[in-house]
Amino acid sequence: MPDDPDIVIRASGLTKVYRNGPVEVHALRGVDFAAVRGEFVVILGPSGSGKSTFLNILGGLDSASAGRVQFRDHDLTELDERGLTQYRRDHVGFVFQFYNLVPSLTALENVALVTEIARNPMNPADALDLVGLSARQDHFPAQLSGGEQQRVAIARAIAKRPELLFCDEPTGALDSTTGVRVLEALTEVNRAIGATTLVITHNAAIREIADRTLRFADGRIVETTVNTTRKRPDQVSW
Amino acid sequence: MVIAPLRRKVLRDLGRLWPQVLAIALVLAAGVATMILGNGAYASLSETRARYYADYRFADVFADLTRAPLALLGDVAAIDGVLQAEARIVKLGRPEFPDMVEPASILLVSLPVNPDAGLNRLHLRQGRLPEPLASDEIVVSEGFAAAHRLQPGTTVPVVMNGKRRDLVVTGIALSPEFIYALGPGEMMPDPRRFGIAWLPRATLEAAYDLDGAFSNLVLRLAPGASETRVIEALDRLTAPYGGLGATGRSEQTSHAFLDAELKQLGAMVKVLPPIFLLVAAMLLHMTLSRLVALEREQIGLLKALGYRPGSIAGHYLEFVLCIAVIGCLIGFVAGAWLGAGMAQLYARFFSFPFLVFTRDPQIYVLAAAITVAAATGGALQTVRAVLRLAPAVAMAPPAPADFRRRTGWAARLVPLRQTGRMIARHLLRWPMRSLSSIMGVAMAVAILVASLWSFGSIDHMIDITFSRAERQDVRIAFVGAEPASAVQDVRRMPGVMAAEPFRVVGARLSHGARSKRLAIEGRPADARLSRALSPDLVPMAMPGAGLILSEALAKALDVARGDLVTVEFLEGRRSLSHLPVSGISVGYVGLGAAMEIGALNRVMGEGALISGVNVSLDPAGQDAFFAAARQAPKTGFMNVTDLTVSRFRQTLAENITVMITVYVTLAGIIAVGVVYNFSRIALSEQGRELASLRVLGFTQAEVSGVILGELAVVVLVAQPLGWLIGHGIGLAMVAAFSSDLYRVPFVMGREVYATASLIVIAAALLSAIAVRGRINRLDMIAVLKTRE
Ligand SMILES: Nc1ncnc2c1ncn2[C@@H]1O[C@H](COP(=O)(O)OP(=O)(O)O)[C@@H](O)[C@H]1O
Ligand SMILES: [Mg+2]
Repeated sequence: MPDDPDIVIRASGLTKVYRNGPVEVHALRGVDFAAVRGEFVVILGPSGSGKSTFLNILGGLDSASAGRVQFRDHDLTELDERGLTQYRRDHVGFVFQFYNLVPSLTALENVALVTEIARNPMNPADALDLVGLSARQDHFPAQLSGGEQQRVAIARAIAKRPELLFCDEPTGALDSTTGVRVLEALTEVNRAIGATTLVITHNAAIREIADRTLRFADGRIVETTVNTTRKRPDQVSW
Repeated sequence: MVIAPLRRKVLRDLGRLWPQVLAIALVLAAGVATMILGNGAYASLSETRARYYADYRFADVFADLTRAPLALLGDVAAIDGVLQAEARIVKLGRPEFPDMVEPASILLVSLPVNPDAGLNRLHLRQGRLPEPLASDEIVVSEGFAAAHRLQPGTTVPVVMNGKRRDLVVTGIALSPEFIYALGPGEMMPDPRRFGIAWLPRATLEAAYDLDGAFSNLVLRLAPGASETRVIEALDRLTAPYGGLGATGRSEQTSHAFLDAELKQLGAMVKVLPPIFLLVAAMLLHMTLSRLVALEREQIGLLKALGYRPGSIAGHYLEFVLCIAVIGCLIGFVAGAWLGAGMAQLYARFFSFPFLVFTRDPQIYVLAAAITVAAATGGALQTVRAVLRLAPAVAMAPPAPADFRRRTGWAARLVPLRQTGRMIARHLLRWPMRSLSSIMGVAMAVAILVASLWSFGSIDHMIDITFSRAERQDVRIAFVGAEPASAVQDVRRMPGVMAAEPFRVVGARLSHGARSKRLAIEGRPADARLSRALSPDLVPMAMPGAGLILSEALAKALDVARGDLVTVEFLEGRRSLSHLPVSGISVGYVGLGAAMEIGALNRVMGEGALISGVNVSLDPAGQDAFFAAARQAPKTGFMNVTDLTVSRFRQTLAENITVMITVYVTLAGIIAVGVVYNFSRIALSEQGRELASLRVLGFTQAEVSGVILGELAVVVLVAQPLGWLIGHGIGLAMVAAFSSDLYRVPFVMGREVYATASLIVIAAALLSAIAVRGRINRLDMIAVLKTRE
């Protein structure tokens, strides 16, 4: 796998140290990781184990203290603020626990926000259709339920057809039924656009729909499980 | 102790929000400073004047006449209501300084036998008064002495009634009669070319053949006496002696100019402080509303913990009061400091022996009270909302801002990008805030428009007056009326290219109950030098018989073209005529009435006389001309257009820098205050959205564009509004400042609007840059980890 031409994102020796005055927090202690095109990776692990830090660095929101991150054949570690912005803009979709929709824009407009600046975007209405929200496209976030808002966020994340889709606890703020709908939407778009998808979650059942599961502990990947037979979300008992 | 932690929070909030706090405090301070400065300067100027007048027995009524026997003084003093009357000889002489080519004049005023008991007493700065019997001693006015470096002991050659006398300066003095010493025919005081000399009457009696006679009266009235009735009685007494009509203080030059200055100060006090206080109240309201919105949970928690709503509301009031106190303190210091500066300006411009700069604590108390009231007013609504907030509601996170109402439609009208929609909807979501911010910026523009226009108007006034109406290079006024042939003598002087006679006659014009005393000027029908201009600035031919009145006079008399006015000439045979108004002319200085010179002489019934000659000169022959004109015995005084204009401009230039600095600073404070607070609040509300945009791959510039775009809309919409308001204030100023002394033409040009807008936009840009730094430092990750 190390030289697989299909590898989209690769991290090696990734280390992150937060310094708050005299206190040093080692959030990542040398993480090696690679993912291929279209892969669906689930990240598990206790709170504080470095999952979000890992995802943020891969997504170009934060920079590593040591180690390298490569997107295709670009070295992210060498990019400045401007370069990282361009990387996020062109290649990465994010979904967060708190949907972070723009309250002054409707569902459709929130999606259009991204398609307007993307190189090869979908039609925003199609993106909403993918997450099953066509009917609510003219609603403002305040008029949508949490699950609906999260699905809008997913539509917004994938409307630019990103190579990478990073989801940090996307179901964290949702009840389980709604959470399942959101996860279904995620697998759906993963299949539809072929984006390499990394999902942080506390929901262990999600392993069954993933290609691979990583378990973080204390800033390291302590366990990797490869799933040979991926289930569909509706086949999983959550 | 329940209050202590909350009080600590006040201090922490002030520290945390210091740039916003400072911006608001500065706006408040500007209001306080202008209030203290304006009121202080007003009180100081009027009190100084009042005390000066009282201590130095400034007269109430003034009258000039040709020559009356001293015996008349008894009749004058006997007029009902007259407390004290003094007969003087007042004549215009000509100083001759070897180093001075241009003409100058000196007003010679006789001293009473006992100067300490007289009216318009002198304040001696240096030296002593002349000995009553010394025929060559004078006291000179301070400005004149300074301009010519005169000291007690210096000799000044003065031409009196055609004869040159060497007079010795014994002292330097000030008089309440000449606080503002304006030379005849001049627009601005010029102490080099006009001074006052006081001397024993014997010297003047001898020089002007006025033995046992006088040419000027000053009266002090008993308290409560009717000025009008005294003036009527006085005019009856002086008419046989060439009385030119008495006037009260309101028409005494020095007093009237001081009055005009006071009027302007009064207007400033009425206009400026309310603008600042209103804007500050609006800013406090905005800032506090946002603070309370951010602290809903804390408020709910405090309520749940058992804090009384009153003490929580009190906490926010304390925060506001702290800002008010900071504003007051800065305003006090700035106001006192600027006030001292203003006093210096006055001291330079007006001749006072002392300046009472009142530090009336009442003004400070009043300013503080008004400021606190404005601040509390701005905070009231928010504080009431705090009181009403139920603990449970307060602790639940606020629902996402609801943009359904009133904002959905607007953004759909225009095909905007989504960030454009965000800007539009955010502005519309809080219409009151957006509108009051627009008003705030508009006020900054208005302050500039309302102050900057006057410079253009003054240029316009100079241009019209001196390049179209009064085109002569020099105006020679004779000592008395001369036969028309005198113009030939002038024409023969060296350097003269053209010469036109004029006749000036004192007259009282009346129409119905209205009446004005002024000088009617006679000019040749086809005058090319000194001309009347119609309102569209075209030279007017002098009509065969009627009068041409200036707009100001026509308005004062309430007459229009074709009306008849009653003209009572105050000179010569003092005839009375009814003359038609043949036209209305433009004029900015004084009240003007003009006639064809022949027609004027006909109605006067005294044959062809002239009062002086307007001359245009060959520049090369100027010095020779001055020398010749000076030697001519008929010459009374000369006005040199170039000198008048340059003095005018120079005086303005001295004040203009100060004024521009003050107004630009004031407008800048408002603009920065409003823009900075508005954008900080917008940023606080939308910080989360903007961080999300950064995560989505929007660049720093694109993200700043959302806040800056909102700002740009506010600032741009404010411009035309500011022009409009400034235009209105300007018009009101024109109405308020117009007097019989001068009228300011209202010339509001595009340059004024452009300059005002540029300054305000520059101030807005500065605050935008400060806010942009904060936008660039937005922490994307922190925002994503927390729920709002
Ligand atoms: N900005 C930061 N400053 C200091 N420490 C941080 C920061 N962000 C995360 N950490 C620390 O890094 C460690 C890993 O955090 P995180 O990646 O958020 O863990 P997870 O997502 O697995 O819960 C934690 O100990 C956390 O406290
Ligand atoms: Mg996390």
